[in-house]
Amino acid sequence: MEYIKYKRGHSSDIQRGTSCKGVSNNIIKKFSITGKIGITIVFLFLLIGIFSNCISLHPYNVPSGSSLESPSLVHWLGTDDLGIDLWAQICFGARVSIMVGFGTALLAGLGGSLIGIFSGYFGGLTDKVIMRLTDMMIVLPDLPVMIVLGAFFGPSVRNIIIVLALFSWTAPARIVRSKVISVKEEKYVTAAKSYGANFWHLTIRHFLPNILPIVMVSIIQLVSRAIVAEAGLAFLGLGDPTSKSWGLVLNHAINFRGIYFTDYWKWWVVSPIAAITLLVTAMAFIGRDVEKIVNSKI
Amino acid sequence: MGKGLLKKASEYLITFFIIITLNFFIPRLMPGDPFTFLSSEEGQITVTYTEEQIDKYKAYYGLDKPLFVQYASYITNLFKGNLGYSIYYNDSVVRIIGKRIPWTVSIVIISIILSCLVGTILGSWSAWHRNGIPDKVIYAVMIPISEIPSFLIGILFLFILAAKQGIFPLSGGISTFAEYNNPAEKAVDIIHHAVLPVLTLSMTRLGEFYLLSRNSMVSVLSKDYIRTAKAKGLNKVRIIFRHALKNAMLPIVTRVFLSLGAIFGGAILVENVFSYPGLGRLMREAVMVRDYVLIQGIFIFMAVMVLTMNLLADILYVKLDPRVS
Repeated sequence: MEYIKYKRGHSSDIQRGTSCKGVSNNIIKKFSITGKIGITIVFLFLLIGIFSNCISLHPYNVPSGSSLESPSLVHWLGTDDLGIDLWAQICFGARVSIMVGFGTALLAGLGGSLIGIFSGYFGGLTDKVIMRLTDMMIVLPDLPVMIVLGAFFGPSVRNIIIVLALFSWTAPARIVRSKVISVKEEKYVTAAKSYGANFWHLTIRHFLPNILPIVMVSIIQLVSRAIVAEAGLAFLGLGDPTSKSWGLVLNHAINFRGIYFTDYWKWWVVSPIAAITLLVTAMAFIGRDVEKIVNSKI
Repeated sequence: MGKGLLKKASEYLITFFIIITLNFFIPRLMPGDPFTFLSSEEGQITVTYTEEQIDKYKAYYGLDKPLFVQYASYITNLFKGNLGYSIYYNDSVVRIIGKRIPWTVSIVIISIILSCLVGTILGSWSAWHRNGIPDKVIYAVMIPISEIPSFLIGILFLFILAAKQGIFPLSGGISTFAEYNNPAEKAVDIIHHAVLPVLTLSMTRLGEFYLLSRNSMVSVLSKDYIRTAKAKGLNKVRIIFRHALKNAMLPIVTRVFLSLGAIFGGAILVENVFSYPGLGRLMREAVMVRDYVLIQGIFIFMAVMVLTMNLLADILYVKLDPRVS
């Protein structure tokens, strides 16, 4: 009996080890062309965000040329009305967007899956209350609440991340909950329980490996949602006024008198729009591919 | 079925109460003070009201009473349909909101109908030609479209169609100081102003409805009775719209109601892009001037709208699908 148990555990460990390796090798191969393009674009934006100090030749908050210069070799994307280099603003905006996007997604994904595990594992009243709460959050019109909450918290980047996460945890929580409920009934979990495994042991050994792929999918989907929401808030002028995000650049551009009757929009308005669109679409492509891969595994 | 609906309705009622409670507390915890704002000149911090005046106004609006008393009077007023009096606009909130509702609701409804119709037709067509070239092309175009946020599409439309080409007006819901010879002329002017906001809003929802109807259609088209219909030699249009769409409609119809919250959110942004005189623009102005009462009123209105539509979606789902009990 002891021997059998050992052998079983051993073989399953080996299996898990190989399958993990196999997944990481296959995942890149399994991505479609659009997915690969998406990964490249997001990776580029990550680099731009991290190394924005080195990439941009000019400061993002101090004028470095005359106002409203068109794109040239000195100012790659031209300058805005104050003479601030737009390429620098886009680079530093990438930092804000990536921070908000990934920060929110990680916070909401981890928090949401923890809540989901609790809800699915313990069931009963906990589950009922949490599910009612998620029902409510789904029904709430999120942008109006975000505007009100953002105004109340004070619009710093950290607060925006918290507010966005407050509105994003429900999706991962729901998915994780239903997965945990199904895994809970598996024979090996019952067996582990009968050996005296407690909640944390079960979570780490059995639930996490099962929910990790689906949590990853929902985290990736949350990233672009958060980026769009932040850009929207900043565009309305309700974001963090000190951080140069893409939405804020747009806000300034639109509020510039005469933007409609001149050619300035060609670089001032188009570049932040292009940046947001590129990043969001790239994230969407990745999300779609990862979802397909995870679904085909299940 | 009646019991289930009752349970759903009571859930929505609880949600509603939590929303109005939140709605009461959040603006009161916001930094800033409407009286400081009101009493200072634009762009300056100098306060021209005296302490006594501010105290008098606070007493007048009931802002000096304990929170609980304020809460109780807020609830009773709410049920009387009295949303309060806007400090900034000098008018009752219900009247201010009432003036803006037609603008927002009309563009929201028209764009939902448009995106649902076009999305469903494209989706059905795509599903029929599944994996063919037209399907792949539409699919590849739709995915980025469904991802690009509404206000970006709006800004591009604004610059290309309104500012450069001059086909549509730049802003507003109606020409200012215009005189009309007859109602038809006025209607044309309003429609002319509404085209871009509606187009923008429907573009952003189009991808969602397209993907949904395509998925739904693909699963219905693989059913046996569709093969029977094909074998009978019925033509394509008849099979898609008479036989398949009826069964594929279910998720689409409920999605129409469920996407209302998102489309209201989109409308807030789009209205601000086009300076459209709806609720979204009003809400931004209200937050900017810290008009508590007005923010609360707009928020309550939107929440009630969205909650009602979600409840309707639940009811419709039960009515449309006999398998659900």
